[in-house]
Amino acid sequence: MIRIEDIRTQARDILETGEVRAVIGWRRGSRGMAAEPVLISQPEEAESLVWDPTCFHNLSLNLVQERKRLARKGMASNKPLALVAKGCDARSVTVLLQENHFRREDVYVLGVSCEGSGVLDERKLARVLDGLTPDSAAYDGDDYVFQTEEGEKRLPAREVMADRCLECRSAYPRLNNAVFGEEKTRGLEAPFAALSRFEQNRGAERWDFWKRQFERCIRCFACRSVCPLCYCEECVVDSIRLEVTPETTADEKANRIRWIERSASRSDNFGYHMTRALHLAGRCIDCAECERVCPVHIPLRLLNNKLEREAREKFGYEPGASVDLPALVSSFRDDDPNEFIR
Amino acid sequence: MELILEKGRLDDWIAALEGWQAFAPSQEDEVWGYRPTASPVRLDHPNTVQPPKNFAFPQREVFFRFEQVKGEPPRLTPVEPDAARNVVFGVRPCDGRGVVRMDTVFSDHVEDSFYLGRRKNLAYVGLACLKPASRHCFCKSVGGSPVSTEGLDVLMTDLGDCWLLASATPVGETLMQAAGALLTEPSAEQRMELARRHEEALARPQKSAVADVGNAATRLKDNFDSPLWEELGKACIACGICTYLCPTCHCFDLNDEVSGGKPLRGGRVRTWDSCQFPDFTMHSSGHNPRDSLGSRLRQRVSHKFRYFVENFGTPQCTGCGRCVSQCPVGIDIVNVVNRVCASV
Amino acid sequence: MSRQGDWNLNPMSETYEPKIVAFLCKWCSSAGSDLAGVSRIQYPANATPITVACSGSVSPQYVLSAFKKGADGVLVSGCHIGDCHYMEGNYHARRKLYLVKELLEFTGVEPERFRMSWVSAAEGAKFAQVVRDFVDDLRPLGSQDKMRNEPT
Repeated sequence: MIRIEDIRTQARDILETGEVRAVIGWRRGSRGMAAEPVLISQPEEAESLVWDPTCFHNLSLNLVQERKRLARKGMASNKPLALVAKGCDARSVTVLLQENHFRREDVYVLGVSCEGSGVLDERKLARVLDGLTPDSAAYDGDDYVFQTEEGEKRLPAREVMADRCLECRSAYPRLNNAVFGEEKTRGLEAPFAALSRFEQNRGAERWDFWKRQFERCIRCFACRSVCPLCYCEECVVDSIRLEVTPETTADEKANRIRWIERSASRSDNFGYHMTRALHLAGRCIDCAECERVCPVHIPLRLLNNKLEREAREKFGYEPGASVDLPALVSSFRDDDPNEFIR
Repeated sequence: MELILEKGRLDDWIAALEGWQAFAPSQEDEVWGYRPTASPVRLDHPNTVQPPKNFAFPQREVFFRFEQVKGEPPRLTPVEPDAARNVVFGVRPCDGRGVVRMDTVFSDHVEDSFYLGRRKNLAYVGLACLKPASRHCFCKSVGGSPVSTEGLDVLMTDLGDCWLLASATPVGETLMQAAGALLTEPSAEQRMELARRHEEALARPQKSAVADVGNAATRLKDNFDSPLWEELGKACIACGICTYLCPTCHCFDLNDEVSGGKPLRGGRVRTWDSCQFPDFTMHSSGHNPRDSLGSRLRQRVSHKFRYFVENFGTPQCTGCGRCVSQCPVGIDIVNVVNRVCASV
Repeated sequence: MSRQGDWNLNPMSETYEPKIVAFLCKWCSSAGSDLAGVSRIQYPANATPITVACSGSVSPQYVLSAFKKGADGVLVSGCHIGDCHYMEGNYHARRKLYLVKELLEFTGVEPERFRMSWVSAAEGAKFAQVVRDFVDDLRPLGSQDKMRNEPT
């Protein structure tokens, strides 16, 4: 079992010694039971850190955000930033390092192995609790334990655990400066189980499904905003960096390339989600935050999983496995699939 | 006009509304939203994910189409807003109050013909919240009530085995008259039951409350430069959920979408936009006056509780709680207002 | 897409002609298509060629954009493996566009709509055959409206 005191002690220590500038972790949120991301810079704030099944967020996002914030202010950091990272989160830090977004010495990883706990899927929980809203969630080694207005509720963890955690292959953060929890494989479900279930559908059924999803998308961009690897300075759907000077003509403005319009129409939503999935191929480490935050429940994880599995099976590529890997789409092998080409 | 509708006859009333296209909350992939009615309409929904904002202010609408043959002046074809008469069932009182605020925005000083063109053909049939429709709603602390009729044409109250329908506007009366014999006079007991249920709903405490909405505008003004904004906005990921799901957020963007090159043709399109997106205030020079998360959170909260009050004398937020329950990182507008207002 | 008005879009019609956007690499496939032309090989005129520097330069965005603008099929054609003018561009194309193909199919887009081929500058006849086959495979599918832009 992971003891939160150990994480707090370590966080306090590295802040006190000045080894790191700040620690990104989770604290008790102001909205219901869910924890919220927090960046602390004072040793005494370490007391506020929490670790429970509502620590869904991939905090490497905050690492990227903090880097952007400093860059905007023209400030450079001379000390590393620490973050608490689950196995999946640590893999996205690996990808960021692989892409030279940071140097290794700029990041201090407080790894937590989720062991058997995983994180909660609030939608699954809502189905089970049917209107009852818990104030807190904890993991006791077997069950998730919720405090509600009607007293304590216990549920077997696997019933309300996020799909990605059920299918997790490596809950242990390999990239770390310190690690809490033991290396355990959970494997409650086979890898890509949800994907395989979906692929039972025939082509026409799959289109009916995705058509419905893309028509429902409201382009709030929460999927993009929450993704630590969606760090492009200018996303393909935005068109903000055309330099407009007094000499810029109306034609130039009208003819700037816009691959995807801002309209939340089905075709543009399709273009957006396909582009995003393709841009994440070989990079997405399945933290599934995009799927969790989607207010209209688009199962985005399926798109990313599909490409993750193709990369694994056809190209022997595992995103986030090593800092030294070349990018999936800037490398190749002689025996890459060729039979689909005429 | 107050009349009784038997529970089993709701579909019959909807069917009797000739010339109206009816919408009510239903689920698609577990997402509650307003969709064309399908029998049976139950009205047992929690807060819908999106408010009924789209009916008058769709996320995308075309203002006019253009076509230009090279060397000739452009030809513009105006687009008339869809004239269908839509009646929306199951609208919660907070969203009804949202409608009033949207009406104000789109008719004050400048009349937005697209919004108003749709609005004049729209009717809202509300549903009293005898139980809170969301864990995070807080209508009472922002001047609303779970049984408010503001912005609604009819308010329905669940009396157990029947609905009590109360008209709030002439349009509402027309809708009720269309029901003909389906509606009956309430008995004295039913009227008492209505009063009892409304009182109970009003007395029921809500989990969350804005502490002092009356002074919020002043306090937010005083604390415009508070370091708290950056502190509270730190976790924000700059997505558009809070604004796109808000019943009163109305910011938009205009773009020319080109659909063909020879001749050049396309349309001028209005789409929603969000003050939470980093590029919302981006100038063409590259300067961005609201480039930090805290400054954008301040904008959203101040618009709801200060600027709207200064312009129209009432807070814009109606307490539906959507921005709270759907925020990916748990930023709670009530907490933000209360913290900033309480700081010195 | 300037010829849009000339196309017969009705899939039920006997005269329906699928529109193909063909991204052809400058060094091989584009030359191959030229050879087909100068050799007077008969093949359907359904493909609008777009010459690119290398098949490796074809961004997934080009493919998606062609479909968005109404293409019924998209063809990407480059030099044979080992013959790339830039040594390895077609290796990159193969990997990248394999993912595009898989993802399109995954969402339920008909797999016949996206195609790749290796056509050398000497293979005029092969190029004609590739286009002929593509048109034959696309014809029964009718016009592509899954990814096409909704009219403004």
